[in-house]
Amino acid sequence: MRTVRLYLRLLGAHFRSLLEYEADFVILVVATVLMQVVNIVFLAALFAKVPALNGWTFWSVLMMFGAVALAEGVGSLFFDGMWSLAWQINRGELDYFLVRPYPVALQSSSAKIGVNGLSNIVMGIIMIGTGLAHVDIAWTPWRVLLGALLLISSVVIKLSINLATNAVSFWLSSPTPLFAFAMHQVGDLARFPLSIYPIALKAALGAVLPFAFISFFPVAYLLDTGQSRWIGLLTPLVAAYCAVAAAVIFKRGMRRYESAGN
Amino acid sequence: MPIVEARGLTKVFRRPDKGPGLAGAVRHLFARRFTDKVAVDHVDLSIEAGEAVAYVGPNGAGKSTTVKLLSGILVPTAGDVRIDGLHPQRDRTTVAHRIGVLFGQRTQLWWDLPVSESLAVLRDIYGVDHATYRKRMARFDEVLELGEILPVVGRKLSLGQRMRADLAAALVHGPQVVYLDEPTIGLDLAVKDRVREFFRSIRDEGTTVMLTSHDLADIEGFCRRLVIIDQGRIIFDGDLEAVKDKFARERILHVETAAPVPLETLRTSLPGAKVEAEDTPTRYAVRFDRFAMTAGQAVTTLAGLTELVDFRVDEPSIEDVIRRVYSGELVLG
Repeated sequence: MRTVRLYLRLLGAHFRSLLEYEADFVILVVATVLMQVVNIVFLAALFAKVPALNGWTFWSVLMMFGAVALAEGVGSLFFDGMWSLAWQINRGELDYFLVRPYPVALQSSSAKIGVNGLSNIVMGIIMIGTGLAHVDIAWTPWRVLLGALLLISSVVIKLSINLATNAVSFWLSSPTPLFAFAMHQVGDLARFPLSIYPIALKAALGAVLPFAFISFFPVAYLLDTGQSRWIGLLTPLVAAYCAVAAAVIFKRGMRRYESAGN
Repeated sequence: MPIVEARGLTKVFRRPDKGPGLAGAVRHLFARRFTDKVAVDHVDLSIEAGEAVAYVGPNGAGKSTTVKLLSGILVPTAGDVRIDGLHPQRDRTTVAHRIGVLFGQRTQLWWDLPVSESLAVLRDIYGVDHATYRKRMARFDEVLELGEILPVVGRKLSLGQRMRADLAAALVHGPQVVYLDEPTIGLDLAVKDRVREFFRSIRDEGTTVMLTSHDLADIEGFCRRLVIIDQGRIIFDGDLEAVKDKFARERILHVETAAPVPLETLRTSLPGAKVEAEDTPTRYAVRFDRFAMTAGQAVTTLAGLTELVDFRVDEPSIEDVIRRVYSGELVLG
């Protein structure tokens, strides 16, 4: 609890200074909203021609888009500092993190706020909500709870992949997170149903870097569509696995940290 | 039990062996060659609680690397470190509460926050209660005059302001051990004096201090123990005053007389000292060993011979001694 409170404290400190640049703030928010709108227009145009994608309706794919946007949004709004890890390592900025009694990964991730995350979160929620409103689900309290758990797990998976891929910077000495960024781009594929992809991509997105658990599998389970809908139930387990793996990779990496010469 | 203990501490950095330019970088991708650079080589060091230790050495001798190993920032290639009996990586959070670190070349303040906010964030990270924090800040303010810089945003601080704020930041949590790595670098004399006074105040409260500095004036009158490192190895570890007694015993008395006095007269009256004429006919320099003769004796003798207008005694600084050690002219120990 103390860890969470302190985390918000660290972020909050930056948030105040962020508001000093109002124009930047507004431009970023508008830009990300625009990006998501473009996404939806593209999706709508696609489904206008093709009524269903491998059995998936517009509304279900919209929910997958929404899940990815939401997870990305949480990543940027609350954990944007992760993307600075390569730079922090390269510049030796972890020196002071390592002598403070607070998890190093969290000090790194709280170093920055990505305002664009805010609009991603809002748009993500709108997309998921609109999708849910148009599909037929028999809601029971148990299903609501499960839905919430799947959503949280989906966000945890995205954050863990971000942390793990950025932690690769401990091994590569580049000051920019090229590897993590490339993987992030791969993650965009998960906005579409996994079933449309060839087997190799399915394996990559389902197991190696389980992006499909951010969107496809949980949505498939919730909507009771597709062939292997039960896999969606594994999402919380996959989330736990990803979180542990990311923590281990980060810890291993920290031992390789060499600071920077004076 | 010593509060800081290092045994056989060694750090080897592996550096890629790249040829010059793009061609070299590309070739490195295929034929990866590395050179090992031993930055710290089997260092044994043990520091007792309350000690003030000066850690000096020429550029690239391994001073900063040692500090980073002793604070747990770097993992040693071989050997180990204990802080108050704890392992700096395994017990990282506990150790973090007990140590304070300042790297003069790098700030720990948040660049986008005012100093007051940076310090408050650190207060919360360390879980210092508000009353203790206020008391501590008031005391820091006495010596460091923090008041005027508290509202200033990190990136707008001058070097001297930044260092003062960083000193407060390193000590927010009242650590038992403080590592100060080049804490006066680039500061003007007035700020240096203030910072040095601050060091004395924390030492007098019983804080263990390890001070790394290029400016040996920082350590004179502050540290009793001197450790010299060169090429990663400790080449001297002992009492600072003893070093001065042994290697900096020469004193130079500069005198100005009312009228010229023949050099021979001065020389015969001060046997054991070297007397030389200086730039004007009435000025002389008398070099003597401070254990063979006191400055008082020399002055009294000269005053008996002739009328003295003025005099001044020069002491060699520890800096001269250490410079001779670096150049290999002098071997301590």
